[in-house]
Amino acid sequence: MNLLYEGHNIQQIYAGVTVLALTSFVLRRGEVLALTGPNGSGKSTLLRLLAFLERPAHGELLWRGGGNAPRRDVTLLLQEPYLLRDSVYRNVTLGLLLRGQKKGLREAFEAAMHAVGFDQTAGMAGRSSHALSGGEKQRVALAARLALRPKALLLDEPTSSVDVQSARAIVNAVRKAIDAGTSVVYATHDRQLLDALGGRELALGTGSLS
Amino acid sequence: MNYFAQGFAKAWELLLHMDAATVSAIQVTLGSTFCALCAALLLGLPLGFALGYCQFPGRRFLRLISDTLLAFPTVLIGLVVYAFITRRGPLGEFGLLFTVPGMVIGQTILALPIVVSWLAQAVENLDRRCRQTLLTLGATPRQLILLTLRELRFAVAMIGVTAFGRVVTEVGIATMLGGNIRYATRTMTTAIALETSQGEFGQGIALGLVLLLIAFLVNALLVILKRRGRT
Repeated sequence: MNLLYEGHNIQQIYAGVTVLALTSFVLRRGEVLALTGPNGSGKSTLLRLLAFLERPAHGELLWRGGGNAPRRDVTLLLQEPYLLRDSVYRNVTLGLLLRGQKKGLREAFEAAMHAVGFDQTAGMAGRSSHALSGGEKQRVALAARLALRPKALLLDEPTSSVDVQSARAIVNAVRKAIDAGTSVVYATHDRQLLDALGGRELALGTGSLS
Repeated sequence: MNYFAQGFAKAWELLLHMDAATVSAIQVTLGSTFCALCAALLLGLPLGFALGYCQFPGRRFLRLISDTLLAFPTVLIGLVVYAFITRRGPLGEFGLLFTVPGMVIGQTILALPIVVSWLAQAVENLDRRCRQTLLTLGATPRQLILLTLRELRFAVAMIGVTAFGRVVTEVGIATMLGGNIRYATRTMTTAIALETSQGEFGQGIALGLVLLLIAFLVNALLVILKRRGRT
Protein backbone atom coordinates (compact mmCIF):
# COMPACT_ATOMS: atom_id res chain seq x y z
CA MET A 1 0.00 0.00 0.00
CA ASN A 2 2.89 2.37 0.78
CA LEU A 3 0.67 4.68 2.79
CA LEU A 4 1.79 7.49 5.05
CA TYR A 5 -1.61 8.58 6.37
CA GLU A 6 -4.99 6.97 6.47
CA GLY A 7 -8.04 8.66 7.93
CA HIS A 8 -11.77 8.10 8.19
CA ASN A 9 -14.64 10.42 9.08
CA ILE A 10 -12.28 13.12 10.34
CA GLN A 11 -13.99 16.04 12.01
CA GLN A 12 -12.48 18.96 13.84
CA ILE A 13 -14.63 21.22 15.96
CA TYR A 14 -13.65 24.51 17.60
CA ALA A 15 -16.05 26.12 20.07
CA GLY A 16 -18.95 24.07 18.75
CA VAL A 17 -18.25 24.95 15.11
CA THR A 18 -17.20 22.23 12.66
CA VAL A 19 -14.19 23.62 10.85
CA LEU A 20 -13.19 20.45 9.01
CA ALA A 21 -15.07 17.38 7.87
CA LEU A 22 -13.53 14.67 5.70
CA THR A 23 -15.05 11.28 4.98
CA SER A 24 -11.68 9.81 4.13
CA PHE A 25 -8.08 10.85 3.76
CA VAL A 26 -5.15 9.02 2.26
CA LEU A 27 -1.60 10.10 1.54
CA ARG A 28 0.94 7.78 -0.09
CA ARG A 29 4.71 7.90 0.07
CA GLY A 30 6.15 10.43 -2.34
CA GLU A 31 2.72 11.83 -3.12
CA VAL A 32 2.07 15.56 -3.51
CA LEU A 33 -1.26 16.87 -2.29
CA ALA A 34 -2.53 20.42 -2.70
CA LEU A 35 -5.17 21.65 -0.24
CA THR A 36 -7.32 24.35 -1.76
CA GLY A 37 -10.46 26.14 -0.71
CA PRO A 38 -11.59 29.48 0.66
CA ASN A 39 -10.46 30.96 3.97
CA GLY A 40 -11.94 29.00 6.86
CA SER A 41 -12.34 25.84 4.81
CA GLY A 42 -10.05 23.89 7.13
CA LYS A 43 -6.77 23.79 5.19
CA SER A 44 -4.62 24.89 8.14
CA THR A 45 -6.64 22.71 10.49
CA LEU A 46 -5.98 19.65 8.36
CA LEU A 47 -2.27 20.49 8.25
CA ARG A 48 -2.19 20.75 12.05
CA LEU A 49 -3.90 17.37 12.30
CA LEU A 50 -1.40 15.88 9.86
CA ALA A 51 1.45 17.39 11.92
CA PHE A 52 -0.03 15.76 15.05
CA LEU A 53 -0.36 19.14 16.74
CA GLU A 54 -4.04 18.36 17.31
CA ARG A 55 -6.24 15.29 17.47
CA PRO A 56 -9.50 15.18 15.51
CA ALA A 57 -12.64 15.67 17.56
CA HIS A 58 -14.23 12.74 15.73
CA GLY A 59 -12.94 10.00 13.47
CA GLU A 60 -9.36 8.83 13.19
CA LEU A 61 -6.24 9.86 11.37
CA LEU A 62 -3.57 7.17 11.45
CA TRP A 63 0.12 7.33 10.64
CA ARG A 64 1.14 4.44 8.43
CA GLY A 65 4.69 5.58 7.83
CA GLY A 66 6.25 3.40 10.52
CA GLY A 67 8.49 4.39 13.43
CA ASN A 68 7.59 5.12 17.03
CA ALA A 69 7.43 8.90 16.85
CA PRO A 70 5.47 10.06 13.77
CA ARG A 71 5.88 13.69 14.86
CA ARG A 72 9.57 13.28 14.06
CA ASP A 73 8.85 12.00 10.55
CA VAL A 74 6.56 14.88 9.72
CA THR A 75 7.17 18.61 9.88
CA LEU A 76 5.00 21.64 9.27
CA LEU A 77 6.01 25.04 7.94
CA LEU A 78 3.55 27.60 9.29
CA GLN A 79 2.18 30.33 7.06
CA GLU A 80 4.02 32.88 9.19
CA PRO A 81 6.92 30.87 10.55
CA TYR A 82 8.32 31.41 14.01
CA LEU A 83 12.06 31.51 14.45
CA LEU A 84 13.65 31.25 17.87
CA ARG A 85 15.51 34.25 19.25
CA ASP A 86 18.80 32.83 18.17
CA SER A 87 21.16 32.60 15.22
CA VAL A 88 20.13 31.30 11.82
CA TYR A 89 22.49 28.33 12.33
CA ARG A 90 20.83 27.39 15.59
CA ASN A 91 17.37 27.68 14.06
CA VAL A 92 18.21 25.51 11.08
CA THR A 93 19.97 22.80 13.10
CA LEU A 94 17.58 22.83 16.06
CA GLY A 95 15.48 19.90 14.86
CA LEU A 96 18.61 17.80 14.40
CA LEU A 97 19.84 18.76 17.87
CA LEU A 98 16.47 17.76 19.31
CA ARG A 99 16.99 14.33 17.74
CA GLY A 100 20.33 14.06 19.49
CA GLN A 101 22.44 14.55 16.36
CA LYS A 102 25.83 16.09 17.16
CA LYS A 103 27.88 15.31 14.09
CA GLY A 104 27.40 16.61 10.58
CA LEU A 105 25.41 19.64 11.72
CA ARG A 106 27.46 22.10 9.69
CA GLU A 107 27.10 20.00 6.54
CA ALA A 108 23.36 19.62 7.09
CA PHE A 109 23.07 23.37 7.66
CA GLU A 110 24.91 24.20 4.46
CA ALA A 111 22.96 21.70 2.38
CA ALA A 112 19.62 22.95 3.68
CA MET A 113 20.57 26.61 3.21
CA HIS A 114 21.79 25.93 -0.34
CA ALA A 115 18.52 24.13 -1.06
CA VAL A 116 16.50 27.25 -0.20
CA GLY A 117 18.74 29.46 -2.30
CA PHE A 118 21.24 30.93 0.15
CA ASP A 119 24.65 30.81 -1.49
CA GLN A 120 26.58 32.66 1.23
CA THR A 121 25.81 30.30 4.13
CA ALA A 122 28.80 31.40 6.19
CA GLY A 123 27.49 34.95 6.39
CA MET A 124 24.01 33.79 7.31
CA ALA A 125 24.97 31.32 10.04
CA GLY A 126 25.68 33.89 12.74
CA ARG A 127 22.91 36.31 11.86
CA SER A 128 20.15 36.85 14.38
CA SER A 129 16.84 35.41 13.24
CA HIS A 130 15.13 38.67 14.16
CA ALA A 131 17.27 40.63 11.74
CA LEU A 132 15.93 38.70 8.74
CA SER A 133 13.39 39.93 6.23
CA GLY A 134 10.06 38.12 5.83
CA GLY A 135 11.24 36.18 2.78
CA GLU A 136 14.52 35.23 4.47
CA LYS A 137 12.65 34.04 7.56
CA GLN A 138 10.41 31.83 5.45
CA ARG A 139 13.37 30.32 3.63
CA VAL A 140 15.33 29.75 6.86
CA ALA A 141 12.27 28.11 8.41
CA LEU A 142 11.95 25.87 5.35
CA ALA A 143 15.68 25.05 5.53
CA ALA A 144 15.15 23.94 9.16
CA ARG A 145 12.47 21.52 7.97
CA LEU A 146 14.41 20.25 4.96
CA ALA A 147 17.42 19.55 7.20
CA LEU A 148 15.28 16.96 8.98
CA ARG A 149 14.69 15.00 5.75
CA PRO A 150 11.07 14.33 6.75
CA LYS A 151 8.87 11.66 5.23
CA ALA A 152 6.10 14.23 4.93
CA LEU A 153 6.61 17.95 4.48
CA LEU A 154 3.55 20.05 5.32
CA LEU A 155 3.41 23.62 4.04
CA ASP A 156 0.80 26.21 4.96
CA GLU A 157 0.67 28.79 2.16
CA PRO A 158 4.45 28.85 1.91
CA THR A 159 4.70 31.66 -0.64
CA SER A 160 1.76 33.84 0.38
CA SER A 161 3.73 36.51 2.20
CA VAL A 162 7.13 36.54 0.52
CA ASP A 163 8.74 38.39 -2.36
CA VAL A 164 9.00 36.89 -5.85
CA GLN A 165 12.65 35.86 -5.44
CA SER A 166 11.99 34.08 -2.15
CA ALA A 167 8.89 32.41 -3.58
CA ARG A 168 10.96 31.08 -6.47
CA ALA A 169 13.61 29.76 -4.07
CA ILE A 170 10.94 28.08 -1.95
CA VAL A 171 9.32 26.42 -4.96
CA ASN A 172 12.69 25.16 -6.19
CA ALA A 173 13.55 23.76 -2.76
CA VAL A 174 10.20 21.99 -2.42
CA ARG A 175 10.47 20.59 -5.95
CA LYS A 176 13.87 19.12 -5.08
CA ALA A 177 12.39 17.56 -1.95
CA ILE A 178 9.55 16.07 -4.02
CA ASP A 179 12.04 14.70 -6.53
CA ALA A 180 13.93 13.13 -3.64
CA GLY A 181 10.79 11.24 -2.64
CA THR A 182 9.40 13.42 0.14
CA SER A 183 5.62 13.51 0.42
CA VAL A 184 4.38 17.08 0.37
CA VAL A 185 1.03 18.46 1.49
CA TYR A 186 0.58 22.14 0.91
CA ALA A 187 -2.25 24.59 1.38
CA THR A 188 -2.55 27.41 -1.09
CA HIS A 189 -4.76 29.95 -2.82
CA ASP A 190 -2.06 30.59 -5.38
CA ARG A 191 -2.70 29.12 -8.81
CA GLN A 192 0.94 29.68 -9.78
CA LEU A 193 2.10 27.57 -6.84
CA LEU A 194 -0.35 24.84 -7.85
CA ASP A 195 1.09 24.86 -11.34
CA ALA A 196 4.64 24.84 -10.03
CA LEU A 197 4.30 22.06 -7.45
CA GLY A 198 1.40 20.15 -8.96
CA GLY A 199 0.04 17.04 -7.29
CA ARG A 200 -3.43 15.82 -6.45
CA GLU A 201 -5.82 18.59 -5.45
CA LEU A 202 -8.13 18.31 -2.44
CA ALA A 203 -10.68 21.11 -2.45
CA LEU A 204 -11.97 21.78 1.04
CA GLY A 205 -15.28 23.57 1.64
CA THR A 206 -16.47 25.25 4.81
CA GLY A 207 -18.07 22.64 7.01
CA SER A 208 -18.80 20.32 4.13
CA LEU A 209 -17.66 16.80 3.52
CA SER A 210 -14.93 16.68 0.91
CA MET B 1 23.27 71.47 56.73
CA ASN B 2 26.66 70.96 58.33
CA TYR B 3 25.65 67.60 59.77
CA PHE B 4 24.73 66.48 56.29
CA ALA B 5 28.21 67.25 54.96
CA GLN B 6 29.72 65.61 58.01
CA GLY B 7 27.57 62.57 57.35
CA PHE B 8 28.90 62.32 53.80
CA ALA B 9 32.50 62.73 54.99
CA LYS B 10 31.96 59.97 57.55
CA ALA B 11 30.36 57.80 54.92
CA TRP B 12 33.37 58.01 52.63
CA GLU B 13 35.66 57.30 55.57
CA LEU B 14 33.69 54.19 56.51
CA LEU B 15 33.67 52.92 52.95
CA LEU B 16 37.31 53.68 52.27
CA HIS B 17 38.48 52.00 55.48
CA MET B 18 36.13 49.05 54.96
CA ASP B 19 34.46 49.56 58.33
CA ALA B 20 33.63 46.12 59.77
CA ALA B 21 30.01 46.90 60.67
CA THR B 22 29.37 48.45 57.27
CA VAL B 23 30.97 45.55 55.40
CA SER B 24 29.04 43.06 57.54
CA ALA B 25 25.72 44.75 56.70
CA ILE B 26 26.58 44.67 53.00
CA GLN B 27 27.58 41.00 53.19
CA VAL B 28 24.46 39.98 55.09
CA THR B 29 22.24 41.90 52.68
CA LEU B 30 23.78 40.48 49.52
CA GLY B 31 24.08 36.97 50.97
CA SER B 32 20.49 36.74 52.17
CA THR B 33 19.16 38.36 49.01
CA PHE B 34 21.10 35.94 46.80
CA CYS B 35 19.86 32.91 48.76
CA ALA B 36 16.26 34.17 48.71
CA LEU B 37 16.46 34.84 44.97
CA CYS B 38 17.84 31.35 44.25
CA ALA B 39 15.09 29.75 46.35
CA ALA B 40 12.39 31.89 44.70
CA LEU B 41 13.64 31.02 41.21
CA LEU B 42 13.94 27.34 42.06
CA LEU B 43 10.37 27.21 43.34
CA GLY B 44 8.86 29.91 41.16
CA LEU B 45 10.07 28.96 37.68
CA PRO B 46 8.28 25.58 37.53
CA LEU B 47 5.19 27.03 39.24
CA GLY B 48 5.07 30.07 36.97
CA PHE B 49 5.61 27.96 33.87
CA ALA B 50 2.84 25.54 34.85
CA LEU B 51 0.50 28.42 35.67
CA GLY B 52 1.11 30.09 32.34
CA TYR B 53 1.34 27.02 30.14
CA CYS B 54 -0.99 24.35 31.46
CA GLN B 55 -4.78 24.41 31.42
CA PHE B 56 -6.32 22.96 34.58
CA PRO B 57 -9.30 23.70 36.82
CA GLY B 58 -8.56 26.51 39.27
CA ARG B 59 -5.75 28.00 37.19
CA ARG B 60 -7.35 31.45 37.04
CA PHE B 61 -7.94 31.39 40.79
CA LEU B 62 -4.29 30.50 41.43
CA ARG B 63 -3.22 33.35 39.11
CA LEU B 64 -5.44 35.71 41.09
CA ILE B 65 -3.86 34.60 44.36
CA SER B 66 -0.37 34.93 42.94
CA ASP B 67 -1.12 38.39 41.56
CA THR B 68 -2.62 39.45 44.88
CA LEU B 69 0.50 38.32 46.70
CA LEU B 70 2.51 40.77 44.58
CA ALA B 71 1.06 43.51 46.75
CA PHE B 72 1.62 41.64 50.03
CA PRO B 73 3.04 44.15 52.56
CA THR B 74 6.48 43.09 53.72
CA VAL B 75 5.61 43.60 57.38
CA LEU B 76 2.68 41.22 56.94
CA ILE B 77 5.03 38.61 55.47
CA GLY B 78 7.29 39.29 58.44
CA LEU B 79 4.38 38.84 60.83
CA VAL B 80 3.19 35.55 59.28
CA VAL B 81 6.67 34.04 59.10
CA TYR B 82 7.41 35.32 62.62
CA ALA B 83 4.31 33.45 63.86
CA PHE B 84 5.64 30.25 62.29
CA ILE B 85 9.27 30.43 63.38
CA THR B 86 8.93 32.02 66.80
CA ARG B 87 9.75 29.67 69.66
CA ARG B 88 6.03 28.99 70.26
CA GLY B 89 5.31 28.57 66.54
CA PRO B 90 5.07 25.32 64.55
CA LEU B 91 8.65 25.70 63.29
CA GLY B 92 9.99 27.13 66.56
CA GLU B 93 12.17 24.11 67.30
CA PHE B 94 14.45 24.98 64.37
CA GLY B 95 15.58 28.22 66.00
CA LEU B 96 15.19 30.29 62.84
CA LEU B 97 13.99 33.53 64.42
CA PHE B 98 16.58 36.32 64.32
CA THR B 99 18.84 34.36 62.00
CA VAL B 100 19.78 34.88 58.35
CA PRO B 101 17.93 31.68 57.27
CA GLY B 102 14.82 33.06 58.97
CA MET B 103 15.19 36.28 56.97
CA VAL B 104 15.74 34.27 53.79
CA ILE B 105 12.41 32.45 54.30
CA GLY B 106 10.57 35.77 54.48
CA GLN B 107 12.48 37.25 51.55
CA THR B 108 11.79 34.13 49.45
CA ILE B 109 8.06 34.56 50.12
CA LEU B 110 8.42 38.19 49.06
CA ALA B 111 10.16 37.30 45.78
CA LEU B 112 8.13 34.19 44.93
CA PRO B 113 4.95 35.93 43.64
CA ILE B 114 7.10 38.15 41.41
CA VAL B 115 8.70 35.10 39.81
CA VAL B 116 5.47 33.07 39.56
CA SER B 117 3.13 35.80 38.32
CA TRP B 118 5.52 37.46 35.92
CA LEU B 119 6.73 34.19 34.43
CA ALA B 120 3.15 32.96 34.02
CA GLN B 121 2.38 36.22 32.24
CA ALA B 122 5.46 35.91 30.03
CA VAL B 123 4.55 32.33 29.10
CA GLU B 124 0.97 33.38 28.29
CA ASN B 125 2.24 36.23 26.14
CA LEU B 126 4.70 34.05 24.25
CA ASP B 127 3.75 33.62 20.62
CA ARG B 128 1.71 30.39 20.34
CA ARG B 129 3.61 29.60 17.14
CA CYS B 130 6.68 29.00 19.34
CA ARG B 131 5.09 25.87 20.83
CA GLN B 132 3.83 24.69 17.44
CA THR B 133 7.25 25.25 15.88
CA LEU B 134 9.08 23.33 18.59
CA LEU B 135 6.61 20.45 18.30
CA THR B 136 6.87 20.33 14.51
CA LEU B 137 10.64 20.24 14.84
CA GLY B 138 10.24 17.15 17.00
CA ALA B 139 10.65 18.45 20.56
CA THR B 140 9.76 16.04 23.36
CA PRO B 141 7.70 17.46 26.28
CA ARG B 142 10.88 17.98 28.32
CA GLN B 143 12.67 19.67 25.41
CA LEU B 144 9.58 21.80 24.85
CA ILE B 145 9.65 23.14 28.43
CA LEU B 146 13.42 23.80 28.41
CA LEU B 147 13.37 25.48 25.00
CA THR B 148 10.38 27.61 25.92
CA LEU B 149 12.20 28.80 29.04
CA ARG B 150 15.28 29.42 26.91
CA GLU B 151 13.16 31.46 24.52
CA LEU B 152 11.98 33.46 27.52
CA ARG B 153 15.50 33.87 28.87
CA PHE B 154 15.44 37.67 28.75
CA ALA B 155 12.11 37.74 30.53
CA VAL B 156 13.41 35.28 33.14
CA ALA B 157 16.53 37.41 33.65
CA MET B 158 14.42 40.53 34.01
CA ILE B 159 12.19 38.79 36.53
CA GLY B 160 15.28 37.73 38.51
CA VAL B 161 16.72 41.23 38.46
CA THR B 162 13.40 42.77 39.51
CA ALA B 163 12.98 40.27 42.35
CA PHE B 164 16.55 40.98 43.46
CA GLY B 165 15.84 44.71 43.52
CA ARG B 166 12.67 44.18 45.54
CA VAL B 167 14.35 41.97 48.14
CA VAL B 168 17.59 43.90 48.53
CA THR B 169 15.78 47.13 49.43
CA GLU B 170 13.26 45.52 51.75
CA VAL B 171 13.26 46.50 55.44
CA GLY B 172 10.16 45.07 57.18
CA ILE B 173 11.05 41.38 56.88
CA ALA B 174 14.71 41.95 57.72
CA THR B 175 13.76 43.83 60.88
CA MET B 176 11.06 41.45 62.11
CA LEU B 177 12.73 38.15 61.27
CA GLY B 178 16.39 39.15 61.50
CA GLY B 179 16.15 41.26 64.60
CA ASN B 180 18.75 43.74 63.32
CA ILE B 181 21.60 42.07 65.22
CA ARG B 182 24.94 43.72 64.52
CA TYR B 183 27.45 41.52 62.65
CA ALA B 184 24.81 38.82 62.36
CA THR B 185 21.49 39.82 60.79
CA ARG B 186 21.84 43.56 60.33
CA THR B 187 21.23 44.43 56.71
CA MET B 188 21.87 47.68 54.88
CA THR B 189 18.27 48.80 55.14
CA THR B 190 17.83 47.95 58.82
CA ALA B 191 21.18 49.56 59.61
CA ILE B 192 20.17 52.74 57.79
CA ALA B 193 16.89 52.88 59.74
CA LEU B 194 18.67 52.29 63.06
CA GLU B 195 21.60 54.65 62.50
CA THR B 196 19.32 57.42 61.28
CA SER B 197 17.04 57.06 64.31
CA GLN B 198 20.13 57.45 66.48
CA GLY B 199 21.31 60.53 64.58
CA GLU B 200 24.33 58.68 63.13
CA PHE B 201 24.13 59.76 59.54
CA GLY B 202 27.59 58.58 58.50
CA GLN B 203 26.96 54.86 58.34
CA GLY B 204 23.42 55.45 57.10
CA ILE B 205 24.68 57.51 54.18
CA ALA B 206 27.51 55.06 53.48
CA LEU B 207 25.07 52.15 53.25
CA GLY B 208 22.61 54.33 51.37
CA LEU B 209 25.28 55.01 48.76
CA VAL B 210 25.98 51.31 48.39
CA LEU B 211 22.25 50.62 48.05
CA LEU B 212 21.99 53.39 45.49
CA LEU B 213 24.88 51.85 43.57
CA ILE B 214 23.18 48.44 43.66
CA ALA B 215 19.90 49.99 42.53
CA PHE B 216 21.75 51.71 39.69
CA LEU B 217 23.44 48.48 38.61
CA VAL B 218 20.15 46.55 38.82
CA ASN B 219 18.38 49.15 36.69
CA ALA B 220 21.24 49.32 34.21
CA LEU B 221 21.03 45.55 33.88
CA LEU B 222 17.28 45.81 33.35
CA VAL B 223 17.75 48.37 30.59
CA ILE B 224 20.32 46.16 28.85
CA LEU B 225 18.09 43.09 29.16
CA LYS B 226 15.07 44.98 27.83
CA ARG B 227 17.10 46.19 24.88
CA ARG B 228 18.47 42.71 24.14
CA GLY B 229 15.01 41.22 24.56
CA ARG B 230 13.61 43.53 21.90
CA THR B 231 16.24 42.71 19.28
